[in-house]
Amino acid sequence: MKSKLYWIYIICLVSAIALVFSASCASPTESTLTSPTEITDQLGRTVALDKPPQRIISLAPSNTEILYALGLADRVVAVTDYCNYPSEAEEKPTIGGFSTPSIEEIVALSPDLILATSIHETKIIPQLEGKGLTVLALNPKTIDSVLEAILLTGKVAGVEENAAELVDGMRQRIKAVTDRTTSLPPEQRPRVFYIVWHDPLKTAGSGTLQNELIQKAGGTNLARELADYANISLEVVVRDNPEVIIAGVGHGSGQDQTFQYAQAEPRLRDTDARRNSRLYAIDSDLTSRPGPRIVEGLEKLAQFIHPELFK
Amino acid sequence: MSFNPVATEPIGAYFSGRRTRLYSILWLSIALVAVMLLATSIGSVHIPLLTTFRILLAKLPLLDIPQTWQSSIGTIVLEIRLPRVILAGLVGAALATAGATYQGLFRNPLADPYLIGVAQGASLGAVIGFLLPMTWHNLGFNIIPLLAFTGALVATAAVYGLARVGKSVPVTTLILAGVALGALLGSIVSYLIISSGEKMHGIIFWLMGSFSLSQWSEIGVVLPYVAVGTAFIIIFARVLNVMQLDEEQAQQLGVNVERLKLILLAAATLITAASVSFVGTIGFVGIITPHAVRLIWGADHRFLLPLSVLTGAIFMILADLVARTVLAPTEIPIGVITAICGAPFFLYLLRRRKKAIF
Amino acid sequence: MIELEMQNVSLGYNHSTVLQDITLKATPGELIGLIGPNGSGKSTIIKALSRVIQPLSGRILLDGKDVTRIPQRELARLVGVVPQMPLLPSTFTAFEIVLMGRNPHLGLLQAESQHDWAIAWQAMEKTATQSLASRRVDELSGGEIQCLLIARVLVQETKVILLDEPTANLDIGRQVEIFGLIKNLCVENNLTVLAALHDLNLAAQYCNRLFLINERRVYAEGTPAEVITERNIKEVYGAENCVYTHPINGLPTVLLSASQNKTN
Repeated sequence: MKSKLYWIYIICLVSAIALVFSASCASPTESTLTSPTEITDQLGRTVALDKPPQRIISLAPSNTEILYALGLADRVVAVTDYCNYPSEAEEKPTIGGFSTPSIEEIVALSPDLILATSIHETKIIPQLEGKGLTVLALNPKTIDSVLEAILLTGKVAGVEENAAELVDGMRQRIKAVTDRTTSLPPEQRPRVFYIVWHDPLKTAGSGTLQNELIQKAGGTNLARELADYANISLEVVVRDNPEVIIAGVGHGSGQDQTFQYAQAEPRLRDTDARRNSRLYAIDSDLTSRPGPRIVEGLEKLAQFIHPELFK
Repeated sequence: MSFNPVATEPIGAYFSGRRTRLYSILWLSIALVAVMLLATSIGSVHIPLLTTFRILLAKLPLLDIPQTWQSSIGTIVLEIRLPRVILAGLVGAALATAGATYQGLFRNPLADPYLIGVAQGASLGAVIGFLLPMTWHNLGFNIIPLLAFTGALVATAAVYGLARVGKSVPVTTLILAGVALGALLGSIVSYLIISSGEKMHGIIFWLMGSFSLSQWSEIGVVLPYVAVGTAFIIIFARVLNVMQLDEEQAQQLGVNVERLKLILLAAATLITAASVSFVGTIGFVGIITPHAVRLIWGADHRFLLPLSVLTGAIFMILADLVARTVLAPTEIPIGVITAICGAPFFLYLLRRRKKAIF
Repeated sequence: MIELEMQNVSLGYNHSTVLQDITLKATPGELIGLIGPNGSGKSTIIKALSRVIQPLSGRILLDGKDVTRIPQRELARLVGVVPQMPLLPSTFTAFEIVLMGRNPHLGLLQAESQHDWAIAWQAMEKTATQSLASRRVDELSGGEIQCLLIARVLVQETKVILLDEPTANLDIGRQVEIFGLIKNLCVENNLTVLAALHDLNLAAQYCNRLFLINERRVYAEGTPAEVITERNIKEVYGAENCVYTHPINGLPTVLLSASQNKTN
């Protein structure tokens, strides 16, 4: 009897040490799978699941795109009003807006996983957790963390292979661009002005996805020294004389006001961009949504900024 | 007439008082030019003062100044800053004049240019413009100022019509009708804002008022209205003095009271609507500028009005300068700056126990 | 020289008639008095004569011309009014208020000239208000304001003057002064003057003719002696009184008596 107890004791000790080791080896900022049922999301929260979720609700268009790209369409039970890609997503039931989802409707659908973002951190997530629901928050701010978010979603949904495949494909496409642009010297990186909105004049500074995309696409963001989404003075734009102006536009007719502004603003007529007609419009979903289509955004920007390198 | 009235002490004082105020108009005009120069030389991009002067002087005919600056700098001074400063001055002058006129017509120190529905009408027009389907916005010009202007005029006409009793429009009825309709329109605007979704930010930004992106083309539209309207009002300045007696006395002194009310209300509303439709509703300028002028230079409208024009212009230009430099490149909404200046001023007025100013 | 006439005029506000079928006439050189109890409509008549309100029926004639046909500014040059308790803007000086009386004579873009200032100054001299000239209106007493208003109407240089209780706030000395001034002007310049009065004794002393207004009509008209009688006063005012003859000038003088033991 005593020897059996002794061996059980040894095995437990060894397992504990092994567990502690594996846990400490994991980087604290990365999302980890500390056990088959526990995951740390991108807001640093620990999420526990018994089995792969079958009824998923997405609280953000970017999350919806990730879910569909991972082939989880039939497991999605509801999305937001703004989830417009892919078009099949528009047929799903909706539970409200981006920052204003309806808690009641969410609860009524009995989801076993809710994919949220940092916007929901202060109010929505606590409420949902209070109702006993499981919430995973994605909060990618860079291209790399977008890829991680996809992998994380894959893990939590039990489709790691799809995720890995998707992420690999994205990495290749990114590499196809950066291979040609990373080595460009500053003189060959055109000055790019990205218009987020025209009234007030808003651009994307450091810390935004747009900034990173522009940089990787071989351009110099006029607003790289501003922080986050920032107002910029027209005077500064005129002085800095952008060579390329890219306007983030919406969908539907007449949603291209930023592009019209780029074309019509009289005070920009002497900029290189206007003189050489290097004005471009890009679907802002491709450059601001932290989802799988970010690579499409990168490729388009590369074509705009370096037409001689990318067709 | 052997008797020289100016030699008598009170009339002498009256006469020299008028002369002092005339000189004040002169000095303030010079101050206005100085403030405009100052505001044009300050901005997000640092441009040496001398360069700004040369750029401006080069625009004057007959002066031959060689261009030593980059064309982008010229663009910044002449096409971004100068129109902004001028539009700010125009709007400040318009709101101050309209405020003085409303205060004179209603004989009420709390009257401001937005009293009978201009602000709410313009806001409603602008919000409708924002919410219209996008196809309406591709007409080649901006429909929001047009809708705001229309809204302002329609609202004021409605208030005037509602307040009419027979052939006359009693002043108190006008105020009540204005408040009532204003409240109604305001609630509609609030509802529309809440249900506007992603456009909410743009709408609220417009409503708070801003001079960013002012252009010469906008000045071309606003200037005629403001100039003509202000000229009309100043023409009636002496009669507006007589109107400070009650309407009965004014009538007995030969003033066609109803016609005067209509003309002045129309002119003041027009200049307010023209300003608001491009710039949004900026508060406090219309109500405190005339009071400040009265405090310093008295209530005679022949001086009150031109001095309000100048003071309003200077105040607005300076307020806009503060709004765009304090937290550059973010612009503080100009309504916030005017409120920050306006509220303490009001408190100061309240605390004055010496003399009434109205 | 302008004759002022009301022919069968009815006056009212909204839905109530204040005066019915009033006929009266004022000729130049005469100081006409309107007397009557509170609310009898004296002020209403003054408003109608200056075209502030329109008659419900009947005509008001100024020198034979219908008052409603005369343009506002011209009317203001013909008829001047001293209102009863007007609001005055507190930030103007006394001089500026008096100067406003020149408005009917000034074009839209015209400012007052030295000539206008001289007229105003002299009017203030006549009404003994020169010392108030630089003072602000909100610093003046009721009596001082009343004298200012008289000065203002003098400055208006009209042929017809209507006064609504012009001396109600004045002490007895000033009352005599002001009324004396008005009477002199009336006679010397052949003005047509009509005054609404409470004070029956003043009315008797200064008015050439009186109209006693009561219960929406002209109760009595005529010379003071004819109108101010014990019976009329008792009927109209309901006050116990005695009407004596003034010892110096023979005009009626009304003395009240507290109604205790009335001895006949």
